[in-house]
Amino acid sequence: MQRLLPSMLLGTLLVVAGCDRTNPTATATVAPAKVTAAATGGSKAGDLGPPQGEPIKAVLTSPPFVPPPTNRTAPAKVIVELEVIEKEMPISEGVSYTFWTFGGTVPGSFIRIRQGDTVEFHLKNAPDSKMPHNIDLHGVTGPGGGAASSFTAPGHASQFTFKALNAGLYVYHCATAPVGMHIANGMYGLILVEPPQGLAKVDREYYVMQGDFYTTGKYREKGLQPFNMEKAIDERPTYVLFNGSEGALTGDKALTAKTGESVRLYVGNGGPNLVSSFHVIGEIFDKVWYEGGTHFQENVQTTLIPAGGAAMMEFNLEVPGSYVIVDHSIFRAFNKGALAILKADGPENKAIYSGKEVDETYLGDRAAPNLASVAAAAKSAKAGALTVDEQIKAGRDLFAGTCSVCHQATGLGLPGVFPPLAKSDYFAKDPLRMVDAVLRGISGPVTVNGQAFNSVMPPMSQLTDDETANISTYVLNSWGNPGGRVTKEQVAKRRAQAPGPVVAQH
Amino acid sequence: MNTLRYLWLAGSLLPLFAWAAGSGSSGGYVHIPAGTLVSALKFEDVNGAVRIDAFQMMRRPVTNAEFAAFVGTRPAWQRGHVKPVFAGPDYLGHWATPTQVGTAVQGAQPVTRVSWFAATAYCEAQGGRLPLWLEWEYVAASDRLRRDARDDPAWRERILAWYAQPSSKVLPPAGSGEANRYGLRDLHGLVWEWTEDYSALLVTADNRNQGDAETNRFCGAGALSINDRDNYAVLMRVAMLSSLEGSNTTMNLGFRCVKGAR
Amino acid sequence: MKLLLMFLMVLATHATSAGAAPDAPLPGNSVYQSPARLMDSKSRQFAWATKRGQVQIVSMFYTSCKFVCPMLIEGGKVIDQQLTAEERAHLGVTLISLDPKRDTPAALARTARERNVDSPRWTLARPEPQDVRSIAGLLGVRYRALADGEFNHTTVLVLLDPEGRIVARTESIGGVPDALFLAAVKRTLANAARADAKPRSG
Repeated sequence: MQRLLPSMLLGTLLVVAGCDRTNPTATATVAPAKVTAAATGGSKAGDLGPPQGEPIKAVLTSPPFVPPPTNRTAPAKVIVELEVIEKEMPISEGVSYTFWTFGGTVPGSFIRIRQGDTVEFHLKNAPDSKMPHNIDLHGVTGPGGGAASSFTAPGHASQFTFKALNAGLYVYHCATAPVGMHIANGMYGLILVEPPQGLAKVDREYYVMQGDFYTTGKYREKGLQPFNMEKAIDERPTYVLFNGSEGALTGDKALTAKTGESVRLYVGNGGPNLVSSFHVIGEIFDKVWYEGGTHFQENVQTTLIPAGGAAMMEFNLEVPGSYVIVDHSIFRAFNKGALAILKADGPENKAIYSGKEVDETYLGDRAAPNLASVAAAAKSAKAGALTVDEQIKAGRDLFAGTCSVCHQATGLGLPGVFPPLAKSDYFAKDPLRMVDAVLRGISGPVTVNGQAFNSVMPPMSQLTDDETANISTYVLNSWGNPGGRVTKEQVAKRRAQAPGPVVAQH
Repeated sequence: MNTLRYLWLAGSLLPLFAWAAGSGSSGGYVHIPAGTLVSALKFEDVNGAVRIDAFQMMRRPVTNAEFAAFVGTRPAWQRGHVKPVFAGPDYLGHWATPTQVGTAVQGAQPVTRVSWFAATAYCEAQGGRLPLWLEWEYVAASDRLRRDARDDPAWRERILAWYAQPSSKVLPPAGSGEANRYGLRDLHGLVWEWTEDYSALLVTADNRNQGDAETNRFCGAGALSINDRDNYAVLMRVAMLSSLEGSNTTMNLGFRCVKGAR
Repeated sequence: MKLLLMFLMVLATHATSAGAAPDAPLPGNSVYQSPARLMDSKSRQFAWATKRGQVQIVSMFYTSCKFVCPMLIEGGKVIDQQLTAEERAHLGVTLISLDPKRDTPAALARTARERNVDSPRWTLARPEPQDVRSIAGLLGVRYRALADGEFNHTTVLVLLDPEGRIVARTESIGGVPDALFLAAVKRTLANAARADAKPRSG
């Protein structure tokens, strides 16, 4: 019995996991994950044969632009020439930093090739560089991703060749010691290895890369800021940025598109430390090739991009506006600069997004402070001894905050917008017209005291009968109105009469 | 009688003159007492401290003017004459002529664009040699007050700040930096400096392979690894020297000489 | 007088395998620009530059090296074996010691015998101690002396043309020869043979 229990448990677990070895045909109680497409075979199947045709010089682009699709159908020999330049550039308004760059930009130039291509990679290190540099491309199969073969002193160039066996979107970065510092200074970029069949055509392609930066000075402290190693080791960035500086992708440098267009973003995260929670405010990613791989997820709001990783996403723009691109670890966006803009121009589409329709006052739950008078009136009413004075006092307190918002505490209303209650000829002859207005609201043209109004007064359906009576009594006895009183019985009777919006008429 | 007095006066002031001549931005060698060093590099064959014998080191890097004087007497080391195998195409490229510094460049600036072979020849002509890496590291650990300031984050930060600045800044004269405890100036913050055993800094080209000794590549004990990972200043210097060949020159690389035990 | 002797010596060593005419200027990128003097396993002193005129495979090693240096020698032998007898006759191999203090001529001779490379084409030599670093610098060899007398060093075979210019290098040494390096060896030997066959000018 003792032995039976654990083996029963084990058996159950195996069945649940779907791998019951005792009975291979047993159905699992939990369905296995559905595979959306067959595996591509990875590097083993990635060698498409020797390069054909003349060697091609790769077209490299500076961010945020992406080279055009290769439109190749056969493996080629591609020559890539990339230069390392150490240069001082702005990192924020009035703040500069000595970046170490591939191709003079942060992130570095975008490289686009096709799976199976043989790449002859030339890495040049500018003569005025202080440091040696190398390159590790995550798309390279080989020692160090190329770093072992590209260690280059200032004023020199080195060359190595690799074959791209795996399709995907890959980060490249410098791997010279201290590696963290080289990456923190901006030495990263993306290389896209297109799958053999290429990628679907889209209207816009953009290149965005997030990075964290560590300076001795505080955020936006002016001047040339040095790299701060302590902060980098402690993972306390000063800036978290898209494309190497605040404002790299905002204002007149915002990414642009038109409504109706499809957009694909190639997004990398150089790190060195932080993981990105990448999100475009106001858009949903129709497809995300998570981690820059071969398969996509659909309908994603925010996708994780690891440090030293990438992702590709596609979406369509239906509605114009400025779409804010952020790292949704949100203090990074608003306090460290992880913010970019995609501006979509085009006609409005109210069916999809209307813009603001109503802006009305919301008073919460009767925010009026002084309800002592209301309590007193209620007490008297219960005792059957409610006086006009008590009604006026209660009405005044209820009026404030409810009616005064539009009709003003003075009862004068807003000329052309809200009719006056003071010396109003609207209810001078029949106070119960006021009760109707409170109960059912008024819409459409109305003339009060010789002025035309055409607005909407919503029904004050939150008011009870005695509240309505008290307010009405207060109004009747204020600002030169004829006086009198309205009882709650009158209100109740009026309420019970045939409903329907009161169309103002005069 | 008066002559004696004057002689006595001159004699007593002589040490003052000597001190003035030897200190500040002028050249000359400084005596470095023997001691021990725990290197930032982890050597497979030595555990802990290494003994450094006493030696003499130039107070500051060799200047353009000094090197011009040298090549004036040694045509084999003049730009245009020097064999490519000993110095690359950019050798002394910043000088107006092969023997004259010119006016665009200051004589007092540290000489750069010199190869290891040229620097070695200069030091040998002085009766000296280039410093060993360990000798360099030993004296470079010092700041104004301390023999070994390497544990001080502020010290490391200051050194690191130099690497963060772009090369476009004009080089100040050699010897204008603050003297360290030994009286040496500009070991940091001015130019990289050659060491005799630049090619002994065996690190793998992919510096991330710490612990992967690549014994096949480096025979014996394998590649060096770094003891003190926080000492970025040393890491970068090692990376720099390990990327160079003997005939290479760069615009940020100069040297100073030492004399004595090795 | 010494200069004349040296000049005659140079002429003599060029008798069997001349490349360029011996009094043509040495190219600026030739390692033979080095003034270094070597001593072989038979205690004969000679200028490294006297190797000029012959295609050479050069490396640096030390006799007490257990690990890679035997592989280095085997690597050189493997290249040898891939050549025709004619090619082999025109190729010299020079192994220069990193450890002149302990690699006496006797030690060099012993190693040559042990590893079966005791032929006139193979030269095991020791330099002056003060020249080791600069010879290594010219060949692109990196090394560090360890406390126990061992050395860390890169292992590389360097191919020199008859004028001492570096034509190729390989760090992959072992049982299977580096195909590209071997091709370079054959090509350089062929070029040298052609130059040999040409009638000397003037």
